[in-house]
Amino acid sequence: MSFDSCRSSSANSSRKSKRSLNNSNSSNNKKSKQKTLGMAWGANSLSSSRSSFRNSPFSNFSSYMAEKNRKLQHQFEAEASTSSHNGSSSGNLIFQGVSIFVDGFTIPSNQELRAYMLKYGGRFENYFSRHRVTHIICSNLPDSKIKNLRSFSGGLPVVKPAWILDSIVANKLLGWVPYQLDQLANNQPKLSAFFTMKGNPIPENVLTDEACQVNLDPFFKGGTPRDANISEVGEPMRDTEQVDKLFDDPKLQLEEPNSSSGKSSEVKIEEPSSSDAEDGNSVNNNHQSSPDQLSASVSDHCLLNQSMKESPSSESVGPSNQRHSTLGDPNFVENYFKSSRLHFIGTWRSRYRKRFPSSSSDFKCRSSDLITSDNSQKSTIIHVDMDCFFVSVVIRNHPELHDKPVAVCHSDNPKGTAEISSANYPARNYGVKAGIFVRDAKALCPHLVIFPYNFKAYEEVADQLYNILHKHCNRVQAVSCDEAFLDVTDTDVGDPELLASTIRKEIFETTGCTASAGIAGNMLMARLATRSAKPDGQCYIPSERVDEYLHKLPIKALPGIGHVLEEKLKKRNVWTCGQLCLISKESLQKDFGKKTGEMLWNYSRGVDNRLVGNIQESKSIGAEVNWGVRFKDLQDSQHFLLNLCKEVSLRLQGCGVQGRTFTLKIKKRRKDADEPAKYMGCGDCENLSHSMTVPIATYDVGVLQRVTKQLFGSFCLDVKDIRGLGLQVSKLENTDPSKQGLERNSLRSWLTSSSGITGKGCSINSMAKERARIDSEVQNINGSSGQLFPDQTGFSAQMDNNSLSGVSDPPPLYHLDMGVVESLPPELFSELNEIYGGKLTDFIAKSRVASENINIYSCTSSAEGKELAVDGGKGPLASDMIPLDVIMVENSAKQHTSKEAQAGPSRAGLQNEANCSVSPGNTDLMPSSLSQVDVSVLQQLPGELRGDILGQLPAHRKQESTSNAELHPLSENLEGSLNIKITENQPNSIASVLNTNLWIGSPPQWVDKFTVSKCLILKTLAQLYYKLGLSGSLSPILQCIISECLYPSDDSDAWGEEATYDLCELFKQYVKIKMELDLEEVYVCFRLLRRLTTKSKFLLHVYNIVFPYLQTSVGENYGGDLHI
Amino acid sequence: MDSKNNQSSAARILVEFLEVAITSVVFLKGVYPSDAFERRRYMHVVVQRARHPLLRDYIHSAVSGLLPFIQKGLVERVAVIFFDSDNIPLERFIFKLAVNQSNGSKVEEGDLEFSLRSFLVKLSVSEGLTKVLPRDCRWEITAYFRSLPHVSTSKDAELWIPTDTKQWQQPPLITPIKSMSSEPLSLQLYMEHPSLSEPKPQEGKNS
Repeated sequence: MSFDSCRSSSANSSRKSKRSLNNSNSSNNKKSKQKTLGMAWGANSLSSSRSSFRNSPFSNFSSYMAEKNRKLQHQFEAEASTSSHNGSSSGNLIFQGVSIFVDGFTIPSNQELRAYMLKYGGRFENYFSRHRVTHIICSNLPDSKIKNLRSFSGGLPVVKPAWILDSIVANKLLGWVPYQLDQLANNQPKLSAFFTMKGNPIPENVLTDEACQVNLDPFFKGGTPRDANISEVGEPMRDTEQVDKLFDDPKLQLEEPNSSSGKSSEVKIEEPSSSDAEDGNSVNNNHQSSPDQLSASVSDHCLLNQSMKESPSSESVGPSNQRHSTLGDPNFVENYFKSSRLHFIGTWRSRYRKRFPSSSSDFKCRSSDLITSDNSQKSTIIHVDMDCFFVSVVIRNHPELHDKPVAVCHSDNPKGTAEISSANYPARNYGVKAGIFVRDAKALCPHLVIFPYNFKAYEEVADQLYNILHKHCNRVQAVSCDEAFLDVTDTDVGDPELLASTIRKEIFETTGCTASAGIAGNMLMARLATRSAKPDGQCYIPSERVDEYLHKLPIKALPGIGHVLEEKLKKRNVWTCGQLCLISKESLQKDFGKKTGEMLWNYSRGVDNRLVGNIQESKSIGAEVNWGVRFKDLQDSQHFLLNLCKEVSLRLQGCGVQGRTFTLKIKKRRKDADEPAKYMGCGDCENLSHSMTVPIATYDVGVLQRVTKQLFGSFCLDVKDIRGLGLQVSKLENTDPSKQGLERNSLRSWLTSSSGITGKGCSINSMAKERARIDSEVQNINGSSGQLFPDQTGFSAQMDNNSLSGVSDPPPLYHLDMGVVESLPPELFSELNEIYGGKLTDFIAKSRVASENINIYSCTSSAEGKELAVDGGKGPLASDMIPLDVIMVENSAKQHTSKEAQAGPSRAGLQNEANCSVSPGNTDLMPSSLSQVDVSVLQQLPGELRGDILGQLPAHRKQESTSNAELHPLSENLEGSLNIKITENQPNSIASVLNTNLWIGSPPQWVDKFTVSKCLILKTLAQLYYKLGLSGSLSPILQCIISECLYPSDDSDAWGEEATYDLCELFKQYVKIKMELDLEEVYVCFRLLRRLTTKSKFLLHVYNIVFPYLQTSVGENYGGDLHI
Repeated sequence: MDSKNNQSSAARILVEFLEVAITSVVFLKGVYPSDAFERRRYMHVVVQRARHPLLRDYIHSAVSGLLPFIQKGLVERVAVIFFDSDNIPLERFIFKLAVNQSNGSKVEEGDLEFSLRSFLVKLSVSEGLTKVLPRDCRWEITAYFRSLPHVSTSKDAELWIPTDTKQWQQPPLITPIKSMSSEPLSLQLYMEHPSLSEPKPQEGKNS
C-alpha cells in the first residue's frame, strides 16, 4: 500500500489503508480497535465536514446513517469472527478485500450472499457507497438503472451472483469480467446468467451440490430425478416460481408422452389421406393400410415435413406430434422454409430482382427525372393485383372448381388448426377468410375444397405475370409476387384503361388466373381503385372523382391503418375518410405522431407522393421459425440454430449483402401457458431478443453460428420452453462485387487445386458439396443428379449466374427424367421450360404417373423403398442430416434408377461426364461406407461438416454389408475411371481426423504421432521437439529447421494428404492455443513457416491452407490482420 | 501477502513499466528531438526518460491514472496512437493487458521484471518495423476499457477525456512486438498500421 499512501488524495488513501488494516484485523479479531476505526471511517466518508456525531449522534440524517452503518458493520464483523471461531469456515478467505452490495432480488438471496461473505472473508454492505463497495451483485436491473448505469454503479463492476458461487466452488477469487451482467451489453431486462456457468469448465455437479445446500431444501434432492434438473436448481438466477416449476417438470415429462400419443392416435384416425397433390399421392394411397405409413402421412397434413416420409418407416410410431417439430426432423428448418408461404413471399423479391435487375436500376435514374417532371405532368399509375392469387394459381387447371369455394392451406384436416392462407371469392361468401383455422372454415363451409400450396406454380405464374408487366411498361414496381404498380405516364398508349384491360387479358390468357387493375393518378388511389375493381375487374378513378370516392371510404381501407389506428380513430368518431379530412394536420400529428399524422392527412385527401419504383432497400435480413419448435435438449436447439444460421447465411448471400448486427429472437412459452390451440403453434409467448454487433460485416456461416450460440447462451432458457426462434441480421453492407468475385475465384481455385491432387472425381464431388453449401437450391440438383444427365444440370446451374448462353440443343422432351426436372430449382425449371417452349409443364403432368411407375418398378420390393425412391427425386437431400438408414435405402433405390438411366440411349453423348458423377457417392451426397470417403475432401471440409459426416459414417459401416452387393460395381467403376487412390492407410487417417487435440499432453500428442509418420518433415518436427528440450513452443523448432537446413530437399514425391492434414491441424490448433495470449509466438511461427515455403512446396501448400485460418483468428481476437 | 495485495503490486509494477515503455515508444518514433530525453536505467536496461517536465507529467499522470482501473481489471488495452494533423491515426502501439484477478499464487517481482525487461529490449530494436512519421504528427495515450468507468470515481479519471482521433475503416495490419504471459499478468505489445486497402481520404467517425 505504499503506493497508495504516497498519492495525495487524502480521503482515498486513508480509506484504503484502513481497509487493509481492517482486513488484517478481522482475523485477529481485536474488537476495540475496530470500533474506533469504524467510527473514524464513518466520519471520514460521509459526514467529515459536519460536527462530530459523538456529541449529538443523530443531529441529522447523514450522521444517523453513518452511525447505522457503523453498527451494521460492527455486527457483521462480530458474526464473522464467531463463524470463523466455530471452525465451520473452510479457512480460505477468498473474498478478502471484496465488499459486495446486493441490489434487488437475487438467487441466492442477499442474506445467503451475506453468509458467504461472512464465511469467506469478504464484506457485505447494506447500503451502497461508492467508497466502501467493490462489487455490486445483482441479477436484474430495472430499465432506469441500466439507462443511467454510471450514476447507479459508480463505475463499479456489476456482477451476477454466480460469480460468488463459482468463486466459492473454485476456492479462489475468480475474475469478475465473465460474470458481468449481460443486461449491460444490451438493454434487455429478462436475462439470467447460467450460460457463463455452462461455459465454465468447473464440473457442474460440484456447483449444483453447493447450490442445493444453499437452498437447504431436502425435497429438491429427492424430487429432482435427473441431472439436468439438478443443474437447474443450481442456476442462481432462477426465481422461486421457476424453482416451483421444477417440481412440475417430472410430471410434465410424464404427461407429455401421454398427451402426445393420445393426440397422435387422434390424428391418425381423422386424417384420411395426404392431401398432397403434387407429391405422388398414388404411392401414399397404396400404403394407407400399413400402420407405419399412416403415421408418416400424419405429417402430410402439414406438409412441412417432406422428409418425414423419407425417415425410416421402421421407426416406432412414438409421439407423433413431435415428429414434424424440430424434435423429429433433422431437416426441420430447411423443410419449414420450403413450405412456408411467408418465406415464399419474403424471398420472392430478391428473386425478382435477380430476374429483372436492369429494370430496377433503370428506375433509379429515371425516377430522378420524374421528380422534376412530377409537378408539371400528371402521372398515371396502374395497380395490378392478382385475384386470390394463392388459390387461383392452384385451381387454374381445375376449371370445375372455379365457382366452388376453395382455399389454400397446409392441411385439410377438418379438425386441424392450420390457418387458411387464401380463399377464393365463392369461399369468401361463406365467411371463409385468410387467417382462420381450417376447422372454423370447414364449419362455415362444409364443402370447402382445400388445396395445399404449390410454390413452384406460384413462382411460375409470378414470373409470367412480371414478364407481361415488363413488356408493357418499363417502370414497374413489384410489391409482391402477385401485386405491382406500373407508372404509365410516359407510355405512348393513350388510354390507360385500354392498356389495363390489355394487360389483364394477357395475364389471363397466359396464366389462367384473373387479375384486377386500378388506375389513378398516384399509387394510393390506384390501389384503392383496385379494391373496388376486384374481383376480375378494373376501375379508373380520375383526379376529379378522388374526393367523391374517398368521402365514403371507410378509414380501414387506407393502407397504413391497422386495427390499432382504426380503433383510435373510431374513438374520435372518425369512420370514413371524409370525416378524417375534417381534422387538421396539426391535430393529427399531435395525436398520432409526426409521420403517421402526416400520412393520415395526406391519404384522406388522396395525396400520395411516393414514386413508382422507389424500392426501399431492406434494412435487415433474417429467418424466423415460430411453428413446430420443440426441443428436447440443448443439443437439439444447437442443431436447430445451426440450420437457422445456414438459412440466414444463404439469404444474405442471395441478397448480396453482409451484416454486422445479429439479433436472436426467442419466443418463450409463458409459464402458465398451456399447449397452444394451434397445433404445434407457439401459443402464448414472451418475446425475448438479444443482439450483438461484430466489427466486420459477414455472411459466413461459421461466424453466424458462433455469434448465435453466444446469444442463445445469454438467454439462459430452458430449451423446452422455446416455441420460436429467429435470427435477424441488420447493419447490412453491400458485398463488394469485386471482392466477392475474388472470393469465388479463390474458392474455385481451391477446389481445382484439390482436384489436381486427387483427381477429377474428387473435385466434382467437393464442388458438389461446396455448392450445396453455397446455394441450397442447387442441393436439388445434387440430390438427384444421378437420375438425369448431371452435367447438363450442373452446367446450367453455373450458367444461371452468367446469363444462360450457348446451351447446346436440348434432348427431346421424352428423354428428360421428370424426377430431376421437378426438383430443379424454379429458375432452372422455368429456363428449361422456356427452352422447350413451355411444353415442359404440361409434359410433367402427363409423365408424372409414368415416372413414378418406373421408379417403383425399378426398386426393390420393400415398401419403404418404393416410397423413398419417389421422394428421393423430389425432396432435396441435405448431405449431413439425413438419417442413415434412409440413405441406405435410397442408395439402393437410386442405383436402379441410375442404372436404368445409364442404359438409355439419350445419355450416350453425355456418357463421359456422366461417368464421373453417376456414382453412389455423388448421387446421395453421402457415401455409403468409409472406403468411399475421399480423405482429402474430408480434410478440407469445414470442421462442423466434417464432424457431421464422421458422426454418421460408423453407422454406415454397419449397413455396408446389406448394400454391398449393389454398391460394388458402381463404386468400382468410379474408382477405376477416376484414378482415385484409396490408400491403405485410410482408416488411419480417418482416425486422425477424429483425433482432435494434438497439443494436449506432455509431450503433446503430435510428437508421438509424427514420430511414426512416413513423411520426412513431420518426423523431423518430432525429433526436433525432443532435441530442443521439450519446450511447448513451435517457433524454436521451425527456427532450427531453417538454420540447419532440415527441410526436405527432394520435394518431388507426393507428400500425401494425411501429412498435409496433420500438419495443417498442428498449426491450426497451435494458433488456437496461442492466439489469445501470445500473438508474438504465432507471428514468429508463421514468419518462419513463410520462409520455409520457398524451400518446400509441401510447406507452401500447408501455409496456404492454414493462412486464412490464422487471419480469421487474428481478426476475431485483435480486430485486424496479421502483417506477415 | 494476500492475493489482493499481490495483484495490486503486479498492477503497480505494470503501471511503472508502462510509463517507461510509452516513453520509449515516443523516443523511438522521434516525435521529439533526441535531446528531449536522457538515458536512465530501469530494470537493468538502458531506457530513455523525458527531460521536459510537461511530457514527463503527461505520461506519468496518464498511466498512473490508470492504476485503479487496472487493479479492478477494467483496462483492456492501452494504446499509444500517432496521428497526423487530420486526426487520422498513422500508427498505433497497443499494450494489451490481462490481469488475472483470481490468481492466488505469489508473484515473483523478479520474474515479472525479467519478462517486462524483454519488452524494453525488444522495443529498442524494433524501429525497423515501424513506419516513418510525417513531420507534423502528434500522439496521444488512449485506454480501452472493458466497461465505462464512472467519471468521478477518482480525481484521476477526470484527466481522461473522449478522444478525437478518428478510427480506421478497415481492420488494421498487426505486427506483434512482444508477448508475455505469466501469472497474474499477461501483456502483449503489438503495432497496428492501416490496412493497405484503407481508403486514403478518410471520413471516419470520431471514436
